[in-house]
Amino acid sequence: MRKLFAYTLFLLSLILCFPSCSKQSIRETSVDSDPSDTSLLPTTYQHGIFVINEGNFNWGNASVTFIDYSANKTVQKIYQKANARNLGDVAESMKIFGALGYIVVNNSNRIEIVDFKSFKSLKTITGLHSPRHIEFVDSNKAYVTSLQRGISILDLHSNEITGTIAVHGWTENLVRFNHYMFVAAIGEFNKTSSRRKAQILVIDTRTDQIIDSIPTGKEPIGLAIDNKEKIWALCSGGYDYFEIPSIIKINPELRKVEEVFKFPTTQRVPSRLSINTLGDTLYFLNGGIFQMPIHSKGVPAFPLVNPNGRLFYGLTIHPVTGNIFVSDALDYVQNGVVYQYSPSGTLISQYTVGRIPGSFCFTPDDLH
Amino acid sequence: MTDPRKYLKSTLFVGLLLSLFLPVAAQNFKDTLRLPVFEVKSGFISDNQGFKKERLDSSILIHHIDADLSKILIQNSTIFIKSYGNGTLSTPSFRGTTAQHTQVEWNGINLNSPMLGQIDLSQIPVSQFDEIEILYGAAGISRTSGAFGGVINMATNPNWDQRLKATFAQTIGSFNTYTTNLNFIAGNPSFQSQTKANYSSSLNDFTYFNDYLGTNVKQQNSSYSSAGITQELFWKIKDKHLISGHIWYNFNNNNLPPTTTEYDQNHIEKQKDEALRAVLEYKFVDRKFNVMIRSCLVDQYMNYQLDSNLNTTHRYYSWINRIRCSFNGIRNLTIKPGLDFTRDWVNSDSYDGVKTRNTTSFYAEISHNFKNTIKTSLIVREDLINEKFLPIIPALGLEYAPFKKINWNLTFNLARNYRYPTLNDQFWILSGNPDLKPETNYTIEIGSNYHRLSANGKFFIEANISGYYMWIYDMITWLPVEGSNLWKPENIDEVLARGLEIGLNLKLEVMGFYLAMTNNYAFCKSTYEKANSEYDKKIGKQLIYVPMHNLNSTLSLERWKFFLSYNFCFVSDRFTGKDNLSIMPAYCLSNILFGKNISMKDFLLSLQIEINNVFNLDYQSIANRPMAGLNYAFTLKFSYSTPRKR
Repeated sequence: MRKLFAYTLFLLSLILCFPSCSKQSIRETSVDSDPSDTSLLPTTYQHGIFVINEGNFNWGNASVTFIDYSANKTVQKIYQKANARNLGDVAESMKIFGALGYIVVNNSNRIEIVDFKSFKSLKTITGLHSPRHIEFVDSNKAYVTSLQRGISILDLHSNEITGTIAVHGWTENLVRFNHYMFVAAIGEFNKTSSRRKAQILVIDTRTDQIIDSIPTGKEPIGLAIDNKEKIWALCSGGYDYFEIPSIIKINPELRKVEEVFKFPTTQRVPSRLSINTLGDTLYFLNGGIFQMPIHSKGVPAFPLVNPNGRLFYGLTIHPVTGNIFVSDALDYVQNGVVYQYSPSGTLISQYTVGRIPGSFCFTPDDLH
Repeated sequence: MTDPRKYLKSTLFVGLLLSLFLPVAAQNFKDTLRLPVFEVKSGFISDNQGFKKERLDSSILIHHIDADLSKILIQNSTIFIKSYGNGTLSTPSFRGTTAQHTQVEWNGINLNSPMLGQIDLSQIPVSQFDEIEILYGAAGISRTSGAFGGVINMATNPNWDQRLKATFAQTIGSFNTYTTNLNFIAGNPSFQSQTKANYSSSLNDFTYFNDYLGTNVKQQNSSYSSAGITQELFWKIKDKHLISGHIWYNFNNNNLPPTTTEYDQNHIEKQKDEALRAVLEYKFVDRKFNVMIRSCLVDQYMNYQLDSNLNTTHRYYSWINRIRCSFNGIRNLTIKPGLDFTRDWVNSDSYDGVKTRNTTSFYAEISHNFKNTIKTSLIVREDLINEKFLPIIPALGLEYAPFKKINWNLTFNLARNYRYPTLNDQFWILSGNPDLKPETNYTIEIGSNYHRLSANGKFFIEANISGYYMWIYDMITWLPVEGSNLWKPENIDEVLARGLEIGLNLKLEVMGFYLAMTNNYAFCKSTYEKANSEYDKKIGKQLIYVPMHNLNSTLSLERWKFFLSYNFCFVSDRFTGKDNLSIMPAYCLSNILFGKNISMKDFLLSLQIEINNVFNLDYQSIANRPMAGLNYAFTLKFSYSTPRKR
């Protein structure tokens, strides 16, 4: 009887030990936050905004969310859906040129070129080193900034890197003014602020040569051009709270700093300088969303939108409506949120997006 | 596409069904290694009643001489190991807590880095010790504060019968993996010397399906090598005094593989580790009074390099001291006072200068037995960190064993515990937060154990079940700082972990066949209970990378000196986001071990083949970190030992 019992036990154990195990590949999957009839979601992305979700550093989970705000719908992970693969590690920014979307994937050292309407991958540009931002010079070429290896020149016909403009250290945002590209240069990536040389470089786009440089405050991370053809730069003061942050106004003709607006303290690191379509109001993040008319005599003391516990991370202004799009990355380990505010700071809508939403890209249809 | 949850349910059902019918657990039926242990030890293996402890079957270690600790725990315990792949960072998670809540010890010496508060289990070769002891939850308070999950201790046991034993083992595995082990044990009934050396190297360039490239590729930049040597001396005087010295040097050189999406990047990313640990210990044993004095020095070096961007070196020294006494014989009362003192020095490129910390612990354990059926123990620990006292750490355990002839008991324990922030939490340049409070933990646990050996000694059964409920307050979490790329640690999270652990071990001898089966199952729901803001969606959600269900099972068979074992592990879904909207699906893995022992006089030749991931499952444990498919390891072991003196 006892033996029988023991045999039964071992038979049972066999059942346990040989379960029919799934042969399916084990890969990260996601639960759509809005599971209701996904069939109604758009599959072409013509009218709306792309949210570039950086994803966690070294997790390979960057993604793009499409917000169709007229239909009030979001589609998550559109690159993954169209191409059956992940976008990569830390998607930094996206720009559209013609029918093509250029997505800069920082830690994957790539630019993914997609047909922006279908988000099908067309080409992958490699040979980059920690790329940050892309700006189109004309219909022939674009510049790509990087953390450490200068500015790459991208041929828009072949979509290949054809050259590099040597810069020592980290280059960030770029704005074009006539034949000149103004590039924010932060200094050496590995160094603390005290040992970084912050400046705005001026490149003659006809010769791809650096022809001038303008010294600025530490970390001139954001650039914008206003309606009076002045270039504005937001100097964060340094990630390590090195100095008082400032907003500076540059005359691009003379390549001189005309005005400096200082922030009150070093206790915060402002970020994400943006400008509205009229080119008369600047926006930036410094805890809340701040609004600063270009004729202002100083940095505004109070925000237009209070954070109320949110950690605002990305910011852009709708080119037509002037509405403010701001993202909250929460604690970086869950899906973020994008809020749409009116220019006067009234909440219009909010959308759940992907992990660490950092930047935005409007569809060209939306620009008209 | 199968719904992973559905499949999970069916597997679970089988598991639960089994646990209803089957008894299981962890003692050795036919244990070739279990040797008489010098009595001194028993006085100090804190036999605190009412707390959960277990020893892994030592035959597991004999058959996995080439393995690292993470592999052993994955296959044989319900501690979840978060692994980035073979030979790469593997960290333990116990009862829904984090790696920092798990203390790993070697002969009672803390191996967790004072900087990070955790240790990489892939850097611990199991050939360097004889036994793995696991203390669950509040049981860890007898060793340290802050181990909310538990303590894993690796111990060496001298064998006083041994005259001479020499072992050579060579393992050749898939992906150009080679491991060599040399052990030499010599001595007499009062003096023992153990020397153990290991060397391991692997290209680890397994082929996997890369989703980004849409094709099979070989893993890149994943090679590693490691070497270690341990020298231990034991000197026993008149069965009353034991003096021992241990030195362990270990070296690891790892290339760190990229995520699957970064396959084509040719990054140079590597890590070098060196550790030297030296221990001197004295034990005095008498019938009514025991004492142990131990002093240990640790020197740990780590260098990390990423392309030309980063090259950082961290080095720390720890001086770890412990005194424990034990007075018994005051009726049914045992009193064990103790004192620990640890000093850490850290010199890190990521700190602003050398940082030091002194930790002093005052410890007392009082055990009392009532009528031999109720055993109680009360542990009180008071930690002094530099000049600051932590609140008192109390733990109370009860064990009720009502029957004389039936080995069945009920256990209960209750504790409060604290974990002090790590040195990284406090001093990481620009990020460290010197104002952090210690994390607070309250835990309650009930359990039951049963074991029985049949009268003819041919059938053994052991079953245990325990349930726990614990809160962690002020859990330290690193959060991003707005506008900066800095992260800062804050006492932000509250976590509620509750779970159930079931173990069932069976051993059976029939017609000359030895059959053994061990099963472990753990259910753990560990959730965030506090949001950072009203927009935070993590309340009530499972902690990331903590599986709710974890099951492993091993079936072994021995006859005519052949041995065969089948190991099965199931790990349920793990969430990769705190909102639980992204998931790594559940998987099961199967491993087979087969071999034969051939003995000739004083020589023993052992041949074995190990087949890992038998069904060639294409899986990832961590998102975008590929794991090896079907792979093999062949081991030849040759040993000589002089016969035991009768």
